Amino acid sequence: MSILEVNHIEKHFGSVQVLNDISFTLEKGQALSIIGASGSGKTTLLRCLNFLEKPDHGTIKVNDRVIFDADDPTTQIEREIRKKRLHFGLVFQNFNLFPQYTALQNVTLARELLAKEKVGESQESIQKLGIELLDRMGLADRANHYPHQLSGGQQQRVAIARALALQPDILCFDEPTSALDPELTGEVLRVIRSLAEQKTTMIIVTHEMAFARDVADQVIFMDGGLIVEQGDPKQVIDHPKEDRTKKFLARYSSEN
Amino acid sequence: MFWSVTMSLLEGLWTSIELFLLTLLFSLPLGLVVAFGSMSRWAPIRSLLKRCPKLTFLQRIASRCPRLADFRPVSSLTNVIVWIIRGTPLMLQLIIIFYGPGMWFDNNIWAFGNGRMVACVVAFVFNYACYFSVIYRGGIEGVPQGQREAGEVLGMTKSQIFFKITLLQVIKRIVPPMSNEIITLVKDTSLARIIAITELVKAGEAYMKSDGITWPLFYTMVYYLLFVGILTILFNRLEKKLDYFM
Repeated sequence: MSILEVNHIEKHFGSVQVLNDISFTLEKGQALSIIGASGSGKTTLLRCLNFLEKPDHGTIKVNDRVIFDADDPTTQIEREIRKKRLHFGLVFQNFNLFPQYTALQNVTLARELLAKEKVGESQESIQKLGIELLDRMGLADRANHYPHQLSGGQQQRVAIARALALQPDILCFDEPTSALDPELTGEVLRVIRSLAEQKTTMIIVTHEMAFARDVADQVIFMDGGLIVEQGDPKQVIDHPKEDRTKKFLARYSSEN
Repeated sequence: MFWSVTMSLLEGLWTSIELFLLTLLFSLPLGLVVAFGSMSRWAPIRSLLKRCPKLTFLQRIASRCPRLADFRPVSSLTNVIVWIIRGTPLMLQLIIIFYGPGMWFDNNIWAFGNGRMVACVVAFVFNYACYFSVIYRGGIEGVPQGQREAGEVLGMTKSQIFFKITLLQVIKRIVPPMSNEIITLVKDTSLARIIAITELVKAGEAYMKSDGITWPLFYTMVYYLLFVGILTILFNRLEKKLDYFM
């Protein structure tokens, strides 16, 4: 049984079709990389999974349960969408940390709010979890720093800890290193790599081809809102079958 | 002489402070309502069409005249009101609100104890709420969309996002323009004299008329300067307090 099953997702912005018949599955503990040029629909796909955009067509299943069906309004009730979101975590390209909270507060805030709604965890255990997560990100000593006191790489690692704090089934990364200086991408990629080693289920939208090839169990190449090629990362990135994939990768390696 | 001038100016000052505080008390929250009104995205034709896509005459309107379909009545009406209030002198609004009812309807609704003051507060509240609303709107729209999305993805409700994430960032953004507007309000209270309320300036000017002395006029400046000085210190403190994040 796949943890995630996406079927025939379509999305239009006005008359522009951004996603065209997107289908794929993801197994528990696997990492999926999505590559492709800017504007190919990668980010929109992640946003659809996280309910930041509503697909016009298609279904999304998590653990064999339909959590979204474009033709079934009962799967789109606001209140339930909030809960369904928690299947997914999202790490943004530009971090989006909350500036008025410390690193630790950023990590614990959402969980504390959830605990308040239905009496659950104690404040202490949430704090402990937050510190533990920051420690895993190598940021234990930065727990009480505010985002503006941290480097971009550190901010992105706090953002990863924040997403992990809600223990999502699937963690999504939207170009997690694109807003970083080249010398800071390494520390973020290392963290994601270690998450992959711990069998975290992940979807990673990235422009780091070498990283995608090493870390992912599966790669999807998108172009013009379509999945052009998908499969084993070494095969797709090193020996692409489709012309469009070849062109993209050639342009990519010449640019880098 | 100095003593009696001081006392009568203090009385005038108290009237000014009263007007100042009452105006803030009501216009600060009303401004938020106006701000939400002007940001309202409610388009009745579009939303009705979404709910019942089978209404063909609505579809025809939407395809022939998308502007009409996207018409946002709440936002448009609010913007027109804000335009009128910000576009005309507060003094004129004050005169119309105070004298209008008596002149047009033969019914001076302000004919009670401190009716003048109430009329004055009403005029000031509407006027300042409109100015504040624009500042609020700028503050709210200035918070990056990503902040709200980050909250949504973390399963927060709309109100949790507003109160726990957006609000403080909005406050930080609006403190400098709000301090400007509030300092302007201090001096605008002098307009109340147009409907014969003895505020600070009128109190000082009275001595010019009765005793032919002008120094009480300059004396009123000291009161204004102290008033604004205290406000400036308070706002600087608030800004410092919010300095810990960016």
